[in-house]
Amino acid sequence: MMLAALEAPRRQVPEIDYALLWSVLLLLFAGLVMVYSASIATAEGSRAFSHQPAYFLVRHGIFLCIGLVAAAVAFQIPLSLWQKYAPLLFLAGVVLLAVVLVPGLGRDVNGARRWLPLGFANLQPSELMKLFAVLYAADFTVRKMAVIHDLKQAFLPMAGAMVLVGGLLLKEPDFGAFVVIISIAVGILFLGGLKARLFAVLFFVLVAAFALLIIVSPYRRDRIFGFMDPWADAFGRGYQLSHSLIAFGRGELFGVGLGASVEKLFYLPEAHTDFLLAVIAEELGFVGVLAVLALFALLVQRAFAIGRRCVQLDRLYPALVAMGIGIWMGVQSFINMGVNMGLLPTKGLTLPLMSFGGSGILANCLALAILLRVDWENRQLMRGAKL
Amino acid sequence: MGVRRRGQKGHRFAESPVLQLALQGWRSRLVGLVLMAAFGLLLARGFYLQVINNDFLQEKGESRYRRDIEVSASRGKIVDRNGDMLAVSTPMKSIWIIPADARQMSPAQKQKLAALLEMPAKELEAKFNSDKTFAFLKRQVPPELAGHVAALKLPGVHQEKEYRRYYPTGDMTAHIVGFTGVDDRGLEGVELAFQNSLIGRAGSRSVIKDRRGQIVEDVGALRPPQDGKDVRLALDSKIQYLAYSQLRAAVSENHAKAGGAIVIDARSGEILALVNWPTYNPNNREHLSGAQLRNRALTDTFEPGSVMKPFTAALALDRGRVRFDTVIDCAPGRLTIGNATISDAHPHGALTVAQVIQKSSNVGTAKIALGFPPKEMWEMFDGVGFGQQPNLGFPGEVTGRLRPWKNWRPIEQATMSYGHGISVSLVQLARAYTVFARDGELIPLSLTRLDDLPVHGAQVFSPQTVREIRAMLEMAVQPEGTAPKARVAGYRVGGKTGTAYKIEGGVYARKYVASFVGLAPISDPRLVVAVMIDEPSGAAHYGGDVAGPAFSHIMGGALRTLGIPPDAPIQVAQAENKKEKL
Repeated sequence: MMLAALEAPRRQVPEIDYALLWSVLLLLFAGLVMVYSASIATAEGSRAFSHQPAYFLVRHGIFLCIGLVAAAVAFQIPLSLWQKYAPLLFLAGVVLLAVVLVPGLGRDVNGARRWLPLGFANLQPSELMKLFAVLYAADFTVRKMAVIHDLKQAFLPMAGAMVLVGGLLLKEPDFGAFVVIISIAVGILFLGGLKARLFAVLFFVLVAAFALLIIVSPYRRDRIFGFMDPWADAFGRGYQLSHSLIAFGRGELFGVGLGASVEKLFYLPEAHTDFLLAVIAEELGFVGVLAVLALFALLVQRAFAIGRRCVQLDRLYPALVAMGIGIWMGVQSFINMGVNMGLLPTKGLTLPLMSFGGSGILANCLALAILLRVDWENRQLMRGAKL
Repeated sequence: MGVRRRGQKGHRFAESPVLQLALQGWRSRLVGLVLMAAFGLLLARGFYLQVINNDFLQEKGESRYRRDIEVSASRGKIVDRNGDMLAVSTPMKSIWIIPADARQMSPAQKQKLAALLEMPAKELEAKFNSDKTFAFLKRQVPPELAGHVAALKLPGVHQEKEYRRYYPTGDMTAHIVGFTGVDDRGLEGVELAFQNSLIGRAGSRSVIKDRRGQIVEDVGALRPPQDGKDVRLALDSKIQYLAYSQLRAAVSENHAKAGGAIVIDARSGEILALVNWPTYNPNNREHLSGAQLRNRALTDTFEPGSVMKPFTAALALDRGRVRFDTVIDCAPGRLTIGNATISDAHPHGALTVAQVIQKSSNVGTAKIALGFPPKEMWEMFDGVGFGQQPNLGFPGEVTGRLRPWKNWRPIEQATMSYGHGISVSLVQLARAYTVFARDGELIPLSLTRLDDLPVHGAQVFSPQTVREIRAMLEMAVQPEGTAPKARVAGYRVGGKTGTAYKIEGGVYARKYVASFVGLAPISDPRLVVAVMIDEPSGAAHYGGDVAGPAFSHIMGGALRTLGIPPDAPIQVAQAENKKEKL
């Protein structure tokens, strides 16, 4: 159906949001190229990756194929169906998050237990949970729309669910996913009409909770201090960030050229995942960073535009789903880029659509396919067709 | 778009006032705005980092991966006077491994590597199983072989450039050239003596290294390396080879312990050849003994014996105490001074001064010497360089032993006149003879080739004295002299034999040092050749028989090599030729 849309004659009103589609495809493609560039030295130089330079390229390519096929399937599913199964999916997500924590089932990497080994690849439930959180929070908000101002009925159940999910995520720990999912839930509740005053209280409670977490947990406090002044302890806590900043500085306006990064040569840890933007900044310069920012901004803008169109069409659930996806993409890309640039404390969060990681790519592709589906349904309705 | 929107508005208001209330437009606009503002913040931050503050960040980066590395200067060559290579540095490779990485090799790869490096598989395996992070597989591997190894693209196998010092002339020039250690520093010989000019100065380059230390980019040269300067020795490889082979032959023929030979250009003081036996191969120093290492001609002293007599005679002639033909009574071949007795090997009767030298009479020489004040004799010895370092700048040069004249007893002065009670090195002895080759002047010796000629030195004897001594030296190689075997076909030569007892544990032992020092051509002396054979234990032990033939071959060959015109009567040359043909 996507292909059919692409082949549609020019004169007709397009069946699909091409600006959104192209920004997604460009980000995915640029991500593939940059993952290869950022990982080539690490892969070639490490026994763990059999010294194959294309180790990550091949895997990322496979993930993209899987993600695109999954997206094509997801595009066929009406939003009504997503809404129907949203609570079930959310529950499945919670179960997966719990399973990850079971010793022997979840897999430890660098002191964090975030992965479920599936044999051929590892599944990261927290990535899927972001999508499920969008679907579920939107469904919840729509169901409670009539009583949205009632704290007990509208807010507390959702808060309870978030405490459960948040607790599981922090247990892994996956602080990045925690922030994104809380942002999605709160964002959707806010869009759904949660009382502004309540929201303000909620906002302060959350800020206080974050602050408390940071103070209580020493490793997070270390990350905070590293981010405040990476040069104070540039070879200890500030190591990763200082190298990321150096990469930005080396890139200047037009970059050192694709493939010419020095930082990726074992200096910058996680160059192909969390710090992919630093490699983009070094190799493609400010122009490259600007392009990535512009594409994400366009993507978020389209998500909100589609959401507003839904409101105009009285499609409340798709509206919240679309904007929820916009919040997700916006918040996660902002945090990732902010971390890369030293604006935010370092935490494990990938750049959506671009960074290496199968679960992330799959979840992002599914989400964008659903967003395109929402838009497609809008267009069908506007033409008078029935869903 | 505008047309449709109007239509939809109506639809919305009509059907769902609740929704209108719930999804207020300002909320989505606010969230969208916040996100866009966040992106704007990122944009500003990116601009700041990449365009405004990039100098600071780049500086930080350079301090982390920009390194100034040393670019080693290649060591200067050592060449002979004609530019032939005596020591040269060739680029080599060392092959090293990161054992943990190398363990991934397949058995077939391991086999190939072992075959290429000619290493037993067991030894290779042992290095692979090391728990260190670095291990040399093999050093000083020829570049071609290293290329084959590199072509295998084995995991964990790396290469490093290094130099290997190679000595093309091997054991022939080992003592004079010396050798370097692993770190390219001179340990012996010229390699040590000229270390400072040979080594050059390392340069430096600025490079960018990855975190594992591999150079990924060459930024540029900060200071180019200054290669070491070549050292051009005075040595003539052809004459050196001649001296080497003749010395070796003489040592083996006479079943001797050791030996030395030296050829000096009397015009310049340049050392054209300097050899010792035993010697060693500097390219393979695995089983090296101290005896092989010793540069005897410079570092060992010996009591020279009769080769000293011409100096005594020269002093007497110079001071006018005797004339060429003054007759000295040497009968009955013995002379008692105090409670010691000097004797001649073959008793002589009355001899002229010239005959005393020709026939090498101890008694005659002692009688000549006894007339001198010790101080004058000491000054003469000192004047021709005994008791002083030859100042070649060579490691281990010795001064020899010349005791202060104030303590000389008459018997000591008498024995010194014929070369006992004084010790010298072969180099000192040969240098002293340049006085007879140069009309009485003593010049410094030079290891390196000199281009500024002529060289001048201090006058020790008058030219007239020296001419007379040369005549006596020429007589010594006549059939009536002590060393007819030292003659050279086609050239007039002169020289003096020496057959001295060795001192062992403070007393003279029945062991000899046989020597011959001579010069040629007598009509216009150009070369001084000194040959010393230590402990000859064959049929002969006299200097004329042991060292004489070697002198003859070395001197003859060297004269012909240098293209010096023959000065001997043609008949003699023909007679010699006939002899050889027979």
